[in-house]
Amino acid sequence: MKRLCAVVLVAVFSLSRELHSGSIEATVRDRTGAPVSDAVVYAIGNGARPAPAKRQAIIDQQNKQFVPYVTAIQMGTAVMFPNKDNIRHHVYSFSPAKRFELPLYTGVPAEPVVFDKVGFVTLGCNIHDWMIAYVAVLPTPYFQVTGKEGRAALKNVPAAQYTIEVWHPLLKGAPENLAQKVDLAAGTKQLVFTLDLKPNFRAKRAPGLSNGGYP
Amino acid sequence: MKVAGLTILSASFVISFNLARADWRFEAETGGVYDSNLSNSDRASDVKDDWAWKADATIANGWQLSRDLRLTLAADLRSRLWARFDALDTIGGGTLARLRYRFGLGSDAPWILLENRIGYDRYRDTAWSNWNESTRLRGGVAVSPRLALELGYEFENRTAPDDFYDLQGHTVDARVIADLTPSWQLALGYSYREGDVVSFAVPPRPDIASISLVRRGPPIFGTNPLYNGYRLTGRTHTVSVSLGYGIARYVSLQFGYEYAVTTHDPLEYENHLVEAKLAFAY
Repeated sequence: MKRLCAVVLVAVFSLSRELHSGSIEATVRDRTGAPVSDAVVYAIGNGARPAPAKRQAIIDQQNKQFVPYVTAIQMGTAVMFPNKDNIRHHVYSFSPAKRFELPLYTGVPAEPVVFDKVGFVTLGCNIHDWMIAYVAVLPTPYFQVTGKEGRAALKNVPAAQYTIEVWHPLLKGAPENLAQKVDLAAGTKQLVFTLDLKPNFRAKRAPGLSNGGYP
Repeated sequence: MKVAGLTILSASFVISFNLARADWRFEAETGGVYDSNLSNSDRASDVKDDWAWKADATIANGWQLSRDLRLTLAADLRSRLWARFDALDTIGGGTLARLRYRFGLGSDAPWILLENRIGYDRYRDTAWSNWNESTRLRGGVAVSPRLALELGYEFENRTAPDDFYDLQGHTVDARVIADLTPSWQLALGYSYREGDVVSFAVPPRPDIASISLVRRGPPIFGTNPLYNGYRLTGRTHTVSVSLGYGIARYVSLQFGYEYAVTTHDPLEYENHLVEAKLAFAY
């Protein structure tokens, strides 16, 4: 009898959570209407900020590239930087949200890097200048990075009022300028964001007019 | 001396095959070059122009010795096939050692490099075949995320069986490289060279002969009329413009134009050099 009660209680709790949560489906495009990949869509609750996450994330180095190019994490997340190449990399960031350096290494570093401040972090490799990646450190657990089709879906977001923002490494201006307010109840909210993007002048792997002494 | 240096460089390169954590890079480029005055002649009637197909390949191995210091060893092959004056067809190879120091972390940090290359170029007209060595000191700084400045000095030394073709030169140069768009790069350069040049002219040229060593009748530019070669020390000012276009992740197209003026009173000649090539790096 007690077991039955417990099962019923869990079911009711789950159902009520389902009934009191919703989803946000965002479509991100540029000014020409083309889908934008690697954009971070995130929902910030208008109430109290959630506690920092105790999660882990991974950013690989493969074939002299960071994978993935854009990673979204909640503030407090520990990120490992395994080097899957058989050469050494030297990962660094000058970004105010997280300054750090993982000096020349192969394999998996002993300690992860904890991103404990909200902001957007640019990663580089001191040896391979074309290796660039970005980390969006967010004050919320509700986020997703858009794929090639420019879509992101935030699911099981508790019913409340949210500000939905979008960030991209090439975004002109601040994400706050694109913010949309949403009063989320059960069901799905559809949002469309149109971004102004800067040209991408990141270092290229193709031979250029100067190699700066590399290799 | 050159053979010893070449041996040491080659041995280092071979040994490097066996070392772990080496950072391999393969580069290749092919295309066409045009020289409006291949004969380096001062009189319009003597000028011989030609274009060549070129193909170069380099395999390099790099080691990051510390955060800021990088060692590169490389081996290369290069070739030129001229459309008309095939005496100047060339195939050559060499090895290179380079130390680069970057003053800080990241791609924007200023850098300086010291490089030595030793090679051998074989010409179809073997009198031109030579051992050659070049030593370069070069530095660069990123003025902004889209603009870089480079300054360099190079000493080159060629040694041929016939010492008439032994050539030495000192060159200083400056280049500005700008990212025009995410795909297009532009470089503007200026260089000044002081060193040996060989100018060809139809004799008699007592005016040049008085200031140069003369080689009578090398058959490079034909035999009717027969040209003489005049070796002298010339001063060459060159301005250049280059455009690069990234086609794909590992491939780019590059175009270059150079205008060079070489003088040694009373001699003065001009060269217009045009180049278009496809470059690959992996």
